[in-house]
Amino acid sequence: MSKVVKVLTQGIGEHNLRDIEVFRKQGGYAQYERALRELGAADVLDIVKKSGLRGRGGAGFPTGMKWSFLPNDGRPRYMVCNCDEAEPGTFKDHMLLLETPHQVLEGILLGAYGIGSHHAFIYIRGELKAGYEVMRAAVEQARAAGLIGKNLFGTGYDLEFTIHRGAGAYICGEETALLNSLEGKRGEPRLKPPFPAIAGLYAQPTVVNNVETLAYIPYILKNGPEWFAQVGPERSPGYKVVSISGHVRKPGNYEVPLGVTIRELLEEAGGLREGRTFMAVQPGGGSSACLFEEHLDLSYDFDTMANAGTMLGSAAMVFFDDTTDFVQAALSLVRFFAHESCGQCTPCREGGHWLEQMLERLVHAQGVAGDVDMLLAISGQMTGRNLCPLGDSVEPFLASVVKRFRDQFLARVKPTLVVVG
Amino acid sequence: MSDLINVTIDGINVQVPKGTLLVEAAKTIQHEIPVYCYHPKLKPAGLCRMCLVEIEKMPKLQIACNTVATDGMVVHTRSPQVTDARRSVLEFLLVNHPLDCPICDKGGECDLQDFAMAYGPGASRTADPKTRKPKAVDLGPTIVLDKERCILCYRCVRFDDEITQERSLVQVERGNGAMIATASDRPYESNFSGNVTELCPVGALTSKTYRFKSRPWDLHRTKTTCTQCSVGCQQFVDERHTNILRTMSNPHDDDVSEGWLCDRGRYNVGFVNDERRITTPLYKHQGQWVQVPWDDAIALWAKALRDAGPAASGFIGGGRLLNEEAYLLQHFARQFGSDNIDWRAGRQRQATSNAGGSVADLETAQAIVVVGDSPAESAPILDLRIIKAVHHFGAKLIRVGSTDHATPVPQMVLAGVEEAMANIGAAERIALVWDGTDAALGRTLGAAAQALRAAGKTVFTYIPGEAANARGAEAMGLHPAFGPGYRKLERAGLDSAAMLSAAAEGQLKALAIFGANPVLHFGDRELLEKALTRVPFLALSELFMTQTAEFATLILPAKAAYEKSGTTTNLAGSILNLSESIIGPGETRSDCEIIALLAEALGVDVPSVDAIRETVESLAASCGDVPLGDAAWCGAGSLPRGAGAKQRLRIVVAPHIFAGGGSSAHDISAAALRPKPAVSISPRDAAQLGVSDGAFVDLCGYRGTLRDLTVRIGRHVLDGEAVVIEGLPEAPAGALLGDLVEIARIRNAGRELVGGGVGE
Repeated sequence: MSKVVKVLTQGIGEHNLRDIEVFRKQGGYAQYERALRELGAADVLDIVKKSGLRGRGGAGFPTGMKWSFLPNDGRPRYMVCNCDEAEPGTFKDHMLLLETPHQVLEGILLGAYGIGSHHAFIYIRGELKAGYEVMRAAVEQARAAGLIGKNLFGTGYDLEFTIHRGAGAYICGEETALLNSLEGKRGEPRLKPPFPAIAGLYAQPTVVNNVETLAYIPYILKNGPEWFAQVGPERSPGYKVVSISGHVRKPGNYEVPLGVTIRELLEEAGGLREGRTFMAVQPGGGSSACLFEEHLDLSYDFDTMANAGTMLGSAAMVFFDDTTDFVQAALSLVRFFAHESCGQCTPCREGGHWLEQMLERLVHAQGVAGDVDMLLAISGQMTGRNLCPLGDSVEPFLASVVKRFRDQFLARVKPTLVVVG
Repeated sequence: MSDLINVTIDGINVQVPKGTLLVEAAKTIQHEIPVYCYHPKLKPAGLCRMCLVEIEKMPKLQIACNTVATDGMVVHTRSPQVTDARRSVLEFLLVNHPLDCPICDKGGECDLQDFAMAYGPGASRTADPKTRKPKAVDLGPTIVLDKERCILCYRCVRFDDEITQERSLVQVERGNGAMIATASDRPYESNFSGNVTELCPVGALTSKTYRFKSRPWDLHRTKTTCTQCSVGCQQFVDERHTNILRTMSNPHDDDVSEGWLCDRGRYNVGFVNDERRITTPLYKHQGQWVQVPWDDAIALWAKALRDAGPAASGFIGGGRLLNEEAYLLQHFARQFGSDNIDWRAGRQRQATSNAGGSVADLETAQAIVVVGDSPAESAPILDLRIIKAVHHFGAKLIRVGSTDHATPVPQMVLAGVEEAMANIGAAERIALVWDGTDAALGRTLGAAAQALRAAGKTVFTYIPGEAANARGAEAMGLHPAFGPGYRKLERAGLDSAAMLSAAAEGQLKALAIFGANPVLHFGDRELLEKALTRVPFLALSELFMTQTAEFATLILPAKAAYEKSGTTTNLAGSILNLSESIIGPGETRSDCEIIALLAEALGVDVPSVDAIRETVESLAASCGDVPLGDAAWCGAGSLPRGAGAKQRLRIVVAPHIFAGGGSSAHDISAAALRPKPAVSISPRDAAQLGVSDGAFVDLCGYRGTLRDLTVRIGRHVLDGEAVVIEGLPEAPAGALLGDLVEIARIRNAGRELVGGGVGE
């Protein structure tokens, strides 16, 4: 029986949800209006806290807790929606943006209200031009409908909204790099502390939330926090849009309750192609370590994935069957991270490039003795020693596949001539 | 004791103030935590990852440069984990670093070399080629960048951003291809550029003046004070074979320079070894210079003074004199019987203020009012404090009068002191920065200061004038109306202007000028030339054949500041030591020696330098109660100022860090830094006159013409004013000081127009 649910994905493909009228007929913006008229910001925060909602961008940080870190010091606060979706394998936010822009917008507006902000931003990855155009139209409609601006619904609450298009750097998905880029600076992560909750955008208290995280909020408000909290594992509750790709028959976005098994997800995506054997799955985006045959019945949720040595991340699952060249796969990902390193931290800047050079040789069967161990050593040296998590993203996949498929790597090492005597 | 906390570093308990970074806490027990990007004067950046340390109860290693020590923290800086992290970061830094240490200027004082030796891996594990990047990239007039050697610590970029606020250095590209570059590929032109070569932990940024000149272990270092302006930054002079090869800042000079040097102080040292130095006494015999022995030179001079008598003798001692020399000069003159003695040889009238603050106090001001010359050009390091006050502490910067210096921080440009005072708002601590030239303006400023103080506010005043030791000269009594220690004399002698008038009228028979070039800097060029031509005997103690020297009868070859020991007094009244870094060339002598020889020849008793040391120290520490622009102190008063006239712009002269006719004019290595004659006018005037930025014009005034000035359209120039760089022999703007000029012969990009009404 299919585990797929329709919450955020409700109506996609059936209605033109880009039209604010259609969206409102489906109950859109009702929770926003109710919140402004009937609930205080503290009530919204309380509901979000109770729902157990954890960030859907990658780190899985409890959203309510993130909001409550904002100091109550009278400074202006900012709500920033992170739509710089760039994690390899992830394509859920762009879909939400394209298909249901108003749902995303309602989430952001509610989030802004919940933290007491009067200015919300959405930072859209440069490559998502189509989504940007759709969002721009949606914001215009919402403004015309009196959902953005001054004295909303006559409550005296003002909320301004800004759309910003990034210039296409993976690192700008990291929240402090995003804030730098939003401020017009070079998109590179900031040194923490201070954290964005204390000094974020323009050095003011700021919350940065993922598109999907915010999009769930109207439903949590509508159905109550328990509705969300009771789904899935206790500490990792709710629904999740999973982007499934790789060697499956039906790649795509699947909205499921957390706690389904990886095997179930593979089946949802149509399973592997005829005659193929499962080799590995990357469960949470390009930065996550691979899981293998023995992990297929694990519950797909934040904590189980972490305990298995990988992560749920942005819930981008990439399945690999027996046609995979893992050396080539490793090169693809390492090259990506080396290319996207901002260049600030020594280990990330130098290590990524070094690994790329080694893998390049290995792919061309020009490896030298010791290369395979060096892959593990260098990626290990890069990990846990950088200012932001990008440098830490190289090791998980690389190390997991080198350890599992060591033969594939060793096969690319040139035979060494050993002079005896 | 509640602000102290206890941390344990490598098993040793350390007490440090709350808020101390671990990297600083470890220094207290001499446990080095190696760093590249961290610098105590810059904000932590946390990106080289060299300073990772182990902190108990933390899952990962933490960077010591951005971790604040907390009470009870247990830190390990030498554990296997830390050692491994250091080795690994160094391996990464070295993997693409060129192995050109044998030809690298930094070799021997390079942090990458040192840390690689101390903490690095012994051998390379890479089988791949190193990344190639551009080498010897010319960043501007002073700096060369080797992008391969660069380890991307961004200290230079951060200095340029945080300290100077100029933002000319940027990082470009990303990942392994990341590099330092200049913004929009424009040249890196800054008055503080040399500091980045000191900040650079490796050999990536080098000074053009020092490239391939020496190895650090071959240099002999002395600690001295820079005397290029009145700030008095502490510096190290590195000498080899009697050549000064470079100067370096003193990182512990927190009171004055905060460890920075301006480019004049750093790069303008080549003059001491310049071939044009005068190294023997020269006497003008029948219009020709002839070399004479010292004995003859002194005898000629003594005879001239004896013939003239004290009343018809005058002594002008510029600000180049050290405290001891200034004291001896006035002592000698007064013993000889003459009070015709003055240190003022340019535009500056006053150097001591009765309410000065320390240099460090300046950054605590909430409002800063700058009147006259821009301290950015006349006292650059002082300007860094102003920038800090404005940018970091939110002070308000108000400028009175036009300037051609484009400050990197916001400033309000107003026409008068009254308007400035009306705009200082609620500031409680106010700093007034005056160039000491226009006495009338000084009096207005002084009255404003009084009013502020009466209203219970704290006021600091600073006079960063033209001459390095002007304040010392005043304290030593090098003044016609005030003796040592600001003691008012019953009968005043002639001041510089009066001496020149007397000379012009044939009443002054012997004039001596020590270390000054009034021809270039004195406001009234006409009077000056008449006086110097008419005076029968003009003796000059100088390093070079300056514009003034050409008028002299006798030139005594003097020693430069780097060639003598003594003390100087900076604008804030601090007494600073100079020590002899190199031996003066040829027969040069210090002014002390010259004065002693002359005194001996005249039978005047002057004490030895050793005998006056204490006197000088106590005098230098004294601070006279001299109000700003005091009439008795400043003399005649305001500068010549033309009345407003239609179609005419009023000349405002402005200093430039590399202008002048002495040390910077005689330094080949600093030649590229010399400014070209230029005039800055307001956008409105430029539009009205039809001149564009970069055009060439002549300025025709009532008192003369300046030719071929490049036009700059200045944001901070008031309408009706023309700001001209002062101190350039090819365009002596001092001659036109306060004059009203017309802009004539405009050449806009090749097209010649006759503008302004007055043609040729």
